[in-house]
Amino acid sequence: MAPAGHCDPAGESPVPPPSADRIVIEPAGHVFESRPSHAPGIPGADTECDGWSTGAFTLRWATVRGDWHRYYHQPRQDQARATVHRPSGAVAFAVADGVSSAELADVGALEACSAALREMLDQLDRDAWPLDHAQVAAAAGSALRQRAADRLGTASPSAEQVEKLFATTLVAGVVLPGPSGPQAALMRIGDSCAWLLDRGTGQYHALFRPKSDHVVMSNSVTSLPRIPKQVEHVMVRLDPRLILLAGTDGFGDPLGNGTGPLGELFARQLIGPPPRPLSFAHLLDFSRETYDDDRALLAIWSLQEPT
Amino acid sequence: MGAYEAELNNGVASLCERLHSEPMIAAKVRLAVIGFAQDVQVRLPLSDARTLTAAPQMRIRGVTNYGAAFTMLGQQIPTDVRELKAQGYQVHRPAVFFLSDGLPSDEPAWRNARQQLIDRQVTPTAPNIIACGIGQAEAQIISQVATRPEFGFIAVPNCDIGLAISEFFHSLVQSLVQSSQTLDTQSPRLVVNRPDQFVLAVDEV
Repeated sequence: MAPAGHCDPAGESPVPPPSADRIVIEPAGHVFESRPSHAPGIPGADTECDGWSTGAFTLRWATVRGDWHRYYHQPRQDQARATVHRPSGAVAFAVADGVSSAELADVGALEACSAALREMLDQLDRDAWPLDHAQVAAAAGSALRQRAADRLGTASPSAEQVEKLFATTLVAGVVLPGPSGPQAALMRIGDSCAWLLDRGTGQYHALFRPKSDHVVMSNSVTSLPRIPKQVEHVMVRLDPRLILLAGTDGFGDPLGNGTGPLGELFARQLIGPPPRPLSFAHLLDFSRETYDDDRALLAIWSLQEPT
Repeated sequence: MGAYEAELNNGVASLCERLHSEPMIAAKVRLAVIGFAQDVQVRLPLSDARTLTAAPQMRIRGVTNYGAAFTMLGQQIPTDVRELKAQGYQVHRPAVFFLSDGLPSDEPAWRNARQQLIDRQVTPTAPNIIACGIGQAEAQIISQVATRPEFGFIAVPNCDIGLAISEFFHSLVQSLVQSSQTLDTQSPRLVVNRPDQFVLAVDEV
């Protein structure tokens, strides 16, 4: 017997009821079967994840399409990437949140991540430390401009033209092993964020100023290709007590200051042995009403004790 | 507005029905409906439209005391925002959709009540006010109620009042839907479109 189904309100063919194994943080979001993206081109997948360990670090990252985009036929616009710089043992990473109003926000986010990684690897090749954050930002912005130029067939697209196509936030950085223990250097443009999660206390420490805790929300932000005069950056020491997290506001907004149910959930799941990549993605696919944005999260555990 | 009570109730019902049919948007909206005449009556306290089993019923009563409405909003909105935040929600700036068919019966006292409501130093959760005037309402007053020039609308002369009321609610629903769609973006904003049968009040002053 075919499983009981229901008619999609959009008038599409009957769909099977969705699986009940999603993590829910009450109140649960609306339950429905995801709808395909109607964006031009071949859309990316609903979920991406990756994870591996070097001698010094364990990494997990995932990006998950939010329920709003699943419901309204829009593609996932958050991206993440990471790679190893083999000569130094460093891990370079980037997380980006394509601006919804940009026509190809998903493409912009991935382009920014890739360009930031290439620039950071290049700097590591030249033994540049600390990182030139302004140059990382410039490289990402330049990549978006070039992509826009190729698409529009114009040599010098305006910032507005690039923004209209590819605007995105970016958090990018490197964790570098060292004789005194690992160091992490990060930069950001926009409202994506990074945190240190203390494995002993389960507390989160934001590395960039979180969205203002105004009485009511107000979250207009700068995003690439625009680069502020002062690129936000931070450098911290890592040790096995601390987990470095970088994420988009699809994770950061429901996390808040980390003391709520989402913060407790992730702390419980991350302070022990790192979860498998698919389990990490499953965590990030939590359902909580009104928190239906795409989300990307990257986590790095240090395996190196400070000397 | 007495002759148009049916249109008013149909408009409120259509608003509730639309929210009911859009679960993703309804999850992000909390709706309150108040009627004001010589005093204020709460027809629907701040509610989740998905839980409504019937639309609130409006009753047309006497004079038009603008100040009573603004005073009540100045007291209730901060309370409602606190409650929503206590439930774990992030709250965007409230929007008040104001519809009147008459001149304020409490001129000039209403102006101080409105000012207290919209002054963000006094009321940090101060709402945006989208004001629409029909019947005996005057464009100048309506434009002074709205918090921005582009938020004040007056019905075109000699228009069908019932139709204007319907268009007010149609525009309100569109505003809710379009504004909700910006909430998860980097630039959330209140989207306000001119209702059909109305013109900008500032253009009529």
